[in-house]
Amino acid sequence: MRSLLIAIAAVFGLGLASAQAQSPAPAATTKTDLMLYTSQPQDMLNAMISVFNRSHPEITVHFFRSGTTEVMNKLEAEYAAGAPQPDLLLVANALDLSQMKAKDRLLAYPEAPTAGYDPAIHDPDHRYFATKRITTGIAYNTKLVQDPPKSWKDLLDRRFKGQVIMPSPLYSGAAALHVGTMTASPAFGWAYYEALAENGALAGRGNGSVMEAVASGQSAVGIIVDFMALNAKAKGSPVDFVFPSDGVSVITEPVAILKTARNPAGAKVFIDWLLSAEGQAFAAEQGYLPALPGVAAPKTFPAGFVDPLLISVDPEILIKDDEQTKRTFSDLFGG
Amino acid sequence: MIVPRALSRRLPSRLTSESLLLGGATLYVAVFCLLPLLRLLAEPLAADTGGGWQMVVRVLGARATTTAFWNTLEAGLASTLLAVVVGGGLAIVVGLTTVRARGLLTFICLIPLLIPAQIAALAWLELAGPNSPLLRLIGLGVATGQRNPLYSAGGVIWLLGLEHAPMVFLAARAGLRALPNDLVEAARMAGARGPRIVLTIVLPLLRPALLAGAALAFVSAIGNFGVSALLGIPGRFPMLTTLIYRRLNGFGPDVLAEVAVLAMILAGLAGAGLLLQAWAWGRQNRHAARDTAALAPLPLGRWRLLVEGGLWLFLGLTALMPLAALTGAALAPALGVATTWDSATLDHFRAVFANPVMLRALTNSFTLATVAGGVGLVVAAPLAYFIVTRRAPLARALNYIADMPYALPGIILSISCILLYLKPLPGLGIGLYNSFWILLVAYLGRFLALSLRPAMAGVAQIDPALEEAARVAGAGPMARFFAIVLPLAAPAAAAGGLLVFLAAFNELTVSALLWSAGHETLGVMVFSLTDEGNSNAAAAVSVIAVLATLAVALAATVFARAARLPKGVLPWQD
Repeated sequence: MRSLLIAIAAVFGLGLASAQAQSPAPAATTKTDLMLYTSQPQDMLNAMISVFNRSHPEITVHFFRSGTTEVMNKLEAEYAAGAPQPDLLLVANALDLSQMKAKDRLLAYPEAPTAGYDPAIHDPDHRYFATKRITTGIAYNTKLVQDPPKSWKDLLDRRFKGQVIMPSPLYSGAAALHVGTMTASPAFGWAYYEALAENGALAGRGNGSVMEAVASGQSAVGIIVDFMALNAKAKGSPVDFVFPSDGVSVITEPVAILKTARNPAGAKVFIDWLLSAEGQAFAAEQGYLPALPGVAAPKTFPAGFVDPLLISVDPEILIKDDEQTKRTFSDLFGG
Repeated sequence: MIVPRALSRRLPSRLTSESLLLGGATLYVAVFCLLPLLRLLAEPLAADTGGGWQMVVRVLGARATTTAFWNTLEAGLASTLLAVVVGGGLAIVVGLTTVRARGLLTFICLIPLLIPAQIAALAWLELAGPNSPLLRLIGLGVATGQRNPLYSAGGVIWLLGLEHAPMVFLAARAGLRALPNDLVEAARMAGARGPRIVLTIVLPLLRPALLAGAALAFVSAIGNFGVSALLGIPGRFPMLTTLIYRRLNGFGPDVLAEVAVLAMILAGLAGAGLLLQAWAWGRQNRHAARDTAALAPLPLGRWRLLVEGGLWLFLGLTALMPLAALTGAALAPALGVATTWDSATLDHFRAVFANPVMLRALTNSFTLATVAGGVGLVVAAPLAYFIVTRRAPLARALNYIADMPYALPGIILSISCILLYLKPLPGLGIGLYNSFWILLVAYLGRFLALSLRPAMAGVAQIDPALEEAARVAGAGPMARFFAIVLPLAAPAAAAGGLLVFLAAFNELTVSALLWSAGHETLGVMVFSLTDEGNSNAAAAVSVIAVLATLAVALAATVFARAARLPKGVLPWQD
């Protein structure tokens, strides 16, 4: 009995000691720490930080990574607590950041190195900046699909009945923008999603769940962001990616500094690097379509890649309908 | 040990020390279990926007709510039935007969406890998918171009049942240990043989234990997140947990009030399960004292090979194949590429060990699991004693309250903790939110029930005559607790502590909203990697997690032998 109690005490002591060792160090208490909240996959994030640190070893980048909606909800809770943690936000689509801007939570950074960029891609008030372009198109399993779909309408074909999977806007920022764009577009609208549901399409969680299902053959076809499918293809997965002929939606993965940032100077250095030719080239190396014109498309993209047709809708509509979009989607596809 | 009357009378602190014990236990339950839930209960009415009874009525009447409710009930009941058949059946065959390698078999029966639900779900999806070697083997392979059969109510039920069978198994095993050999011996002398002994003597005596296990399985099933998220969401089989998760993820803190109502529905379902369990305990004969010889195994005779073959086939398919699939995925060169001897690669493992976040997550989860298990063990024994021996309203209330954080889906407890600990603690100015401590606080509330159940079973098995004798001899409650109850209940309590460790080590749902940068947990990492479409890396992390768990289990076994702990302290030890 005594030895048991000693063991318990030791365990407790160990736990406390190790917990204490980890628990302080709230982010960005010193000038060299930077806290980033992001929805980027973490292995890509680790690689990006190590490349960034080659030229800026003085800045240690910490991060919190999850699906965009979860990141934003966590941040929302932190605002409620009066202690937002991040210096920087790097999330999927501009919708979330424009809502942050509307709440006056973002720091303006007019000196950001935006020369060479299409001005329309960044926030006109310099509160957030596009870091790359990610389109949403169609991935398919090359072992299961001999005659790949070419357009969104093809997904309504009977041969893909029960075989289409897509990410949920309740989880993914890219999916939220994509569903919002499609349903706001007169060519598709909610009728398209009703037809998808009719054809037995499934909603997964994030884009990763779609990749998983398509690559492993659980679903033959998936609606997904380009880089994920093309990177998997490059690694040898039996998948390929189609930019649909009737258009793609695009997100810009914008970055922004919070007004409450503890290290705005460091945050600016980070943004400078992301927007630099070097940063953009590294994004391309990771398989992202760069936002800076003139930087070559990633090697994973098809040879002779030209920008696909964009489905464009008014961002105001997207922002206004965001919540209703999620609710309607959830009614159609469960959850 | 019996404290002489004179001594106990001289103890001025007799009453005080007892109050201290009870007060401490009550305080623990109040702070870690009750407080967050009270805060949650207040939320629908406290909400500034859209709160109030109208909102409650609207949520209750919504079609999504009704669907999720019936789905939850269906999956909960059906999977519990499966868990009882599988877990109870395995416990009787492994625990009561002369099959060989019982230690190993027991351990394999408990494997689902070591594998996080979401990973088990992924492994099963691969097993049952269009290219499944398993289904082809038995001629059930689905043609390509068809939906994975596990994306369905049946898939959810199947996996929940298998995931929770070990709970019934453990409860039934504990019940078997408490069975007196005399009865079986008597039946045998009267000429009864194996099946008849099982049916007429063992099963009736085992009923309370089976029911206790079933209640735990039911409560876990309706609160499960990993399986219902991975199979139920794509299968359009929404349950209350996934409805809550998706609402929160999609709409943020604004829907906290709505979600609180859904949580209360879930609490009601769990409460019904717990009431059933309490009723079963009430009807139980307090038969067993552990002073008779342990149950002698029933000989299987010429059936032994057949029984063993069936057992290994079943466990091979349900427990080992998913593990093999997991390992295969961890070694695969890329998503969707088959692992062969030539293509296998350790790249994913290298990536895991090169990832600082992953190493931190391993440390964090180990620390959380150890502390939660240790504290649970210390708190559960006195609390169980209080609950089982005192049927006072307070004791009963504590019992139910302690169950709630475990019965509710973890995501609800985490929301409660966010509501409670978001702002710095009044007077102290220390904020728990975004720290390691909020995870620990949540775990301490969450897993108490898991250590309490076995501890209560242990206390309940103690012959009341022992305590009565001590009482008559003048021993006070404290003396009786430490001299009689604790030593006898300790093995069961330790088993509970171990269950907590295993559950906490792979915990996902509570951590999902409470983790912060620097305070990652293993479950969160596995889930994140899966979500990022990097399930090969997720599989590699899971393999590491399973190996680490096995290593801990092995170390515990060695320790138990060296310290000569009584049999049954470790669930897999005979």
